[in-house]
Amino acid sequence: MIKRLSILSLGALLLAGLASPSVARAERKNSLDGVPAVRHRLLLVKKRFEATGAFESSINSDFKNTLGGGLKLEVHASDLLSFGAIGIFGTSFNTGLTDKIVGTLPENDPSPNPDADPTPTKREFNAHLNSIPLHGAAYVGVTPWYGKLAAFGKFFVNFDFYFQGGLAFAQLKSDCSNDICNDNNPTGGMDSGGNVILPDNNPNDDPVLNSGFRAGLYFGGGIHVFVSDAVALDLTVRDYMFSDNPSGLDFNADLAVTDDDNRFLNHLFMGVGVSVLLPTKIKRTP
Amino acid sequence: MRRFNTLLFRMAFLSLLVASLTLALSAAYSPMVHAQDDDDDPEMTFDEDEASGDEGMVMEDDAEESAEPEPDEEPEPEAAVDPDGDSTSGALPAANTEEVSWQDIVVVVRKPFLKVSRVELMPSWGITMNDNIIQHVQFSGALNYYLTDVLAVGIEGQYYIKSLREPFDLVARQARRLPTVNKYNFGAAMNFHYVPIYGKFAVLDENVVHWETALTAGVGFTQSEVLPRDPALQPFKNTLITPNVGASMRFFLSRFLTVNVGIRDYVFVDKFEAVSRMEANGDIAKEQADSSLVNNIMFQAGVSFWFPMSFEYTTFR
Repeated sequence: MIKRLSILSLGALLLAGLASPSVARAERKNSLDGVPAVRHRLLLVKKRFEATGAFESSINSDFKNTLGGGLKLEVHASDLLSFGAIGIFGTSFNTGLTDKIVGTLPENDPSPNPDADPTPTKREFNAHLNSIPLHGAAYVGVTPWYGKLAAFGKFFVNFDFYFQGGLAFAQLKSDCSNDICNDNNPTGGMDSGGNVILPDNNPNDDPVLNSGFRAGLYFGGGIHVFVSDAVALDLTVRDYMFSDNPSGLDFNADLAVTDDDNRFLNHLFMGVGVSVLLPTKIKRTP
Repeated sequence: MRRFNTLLFRMAFLSLLVASLTLALSAAYSPMVHAQDDDDDPEMTFDEDEASGDEGMVMEDDAEESAEPEPDEEPEPEAAVDPDGDSTSGALPAANTEEVSWQDIVVVVRKPFLKVSRVELMPSWGITMNDNIIQHVQFSGALNYYLTDVLAVGIEGQYYIKSLREPFDLVARQARRLPTVNKYNFGAAMNFHYVPIYGKFAVLDENVVHWETALTAGVGFTQSEVLPRDPALQPFKNTLITPNVGASMRFFLSRFLTVNVGIRDYVFVDKFEAVSRMEANGDIAKEQADSSLVNNIMFQAGVSFWFPMSFEYTTFR
């Protein structure tokens, strides 16, 4: 009897111990461990097609600013990964620096020896500058961050941050007429009669070498602000990197305009656009 | 032997009594333990405003450790079902039904960071964004006091280090022109800050980061100094009244540490060396200087340390 009572009491103590609050507290487990950080999330980009009317402006260009508009098309293969392309047609205008320089340049070369003064004329300087009438990129995008924000405590919108990397292209344009760029042997050479032609050491009349198609690298980053399930405001900074010589004049101080004056440059643009995402109906995560 | 048996019997009886009492107490106090847990949870609140506007998603930290009252002990609420279908408790609310449960209540997190009556000490670094001749690296420090959670007043000081950029040499070499350039030495300002935008985002669906956007406006001064085109000529310095406006993003890392990035426009009318300067004396050259409006736009990044280093919630939840 005593033995049975003892066993019973020991069992009861064990049971009481297991059921005590302190032990329960110690074993408390967060039921959300291992689950995604966000539940019931609107899948705003996953398996959707994005078409964006985009506008861009160059940032901090040296001689010519570029302002343009175009189209961005992007397929979001998943919530994280996307593939896209962008093309922008642009128009160019002088920076403040260019206007200041041109304002102080002479109208004409010195006479009778135009090579006596290495200062370019207004026409020579302007004719060597290039513009970017078309540029764009093909890229792979990742969208690692997404969230929501409240503006003034009243307006709640979803947003995401994205980053892009890929290949850039650009069509550069410069227009130097024959009456300006008339030095066919900037670095010297031989004429058809076998006579030696000495370089004139005046890069201002050398042909421009900063036009044509260029390919390079592209990096970008931006934010989608979703004003509805199907429409988003797209704010971006893009860097198109390719070989260029924006001034079109001698860069490496060899007193001639050659291909060596081109260098791999960053072309920074700030963009704003309106994105339409299809299909318009979206899903939620569990 | 008999006395030993009696002792053993008493001990067994006593232990049985203790066990029974323990079981009874544990059963009786279980709800209180839950309630205590809930009270200790600093991350939870009911926020009707945000809940009603929350259409997109529910973050884990919103739902984390959400209080789910015992359905057997508490009456079911009579609240309407969220028409957008959001829920933080893990179960989707039943659509088109009158039945509601505690699971339908949207539980959202308190603001994880309070700023009211706190001081922000912010060392930061900046760089010129809009000058292709001269670039300044800015080292600055700011001290802000938050009157409310969204409004602050503060002071800042800046120190600049200059570097001449590629076009400075190009213009001289290609166009045979020496650019007229001023460098900035230092500055200070008194600023107001307003925080209109608050948000949070998930990084790779794992971590939730809270952030906000602040607008800044203020006024102060900047000292600029002419870099003479001819080194034989004396430089001169200008003290310029400098209004500034800006916007910045703040990411909350802990209760006393944030990371900030932003853009600031320091606006002033600077005095430059006259194009036709022949005067060697700096003071006379300053009288003949050309004036021009300058927007010195800087990208800034920094960290903020907040004092007191912690805070307490005072509002009801």
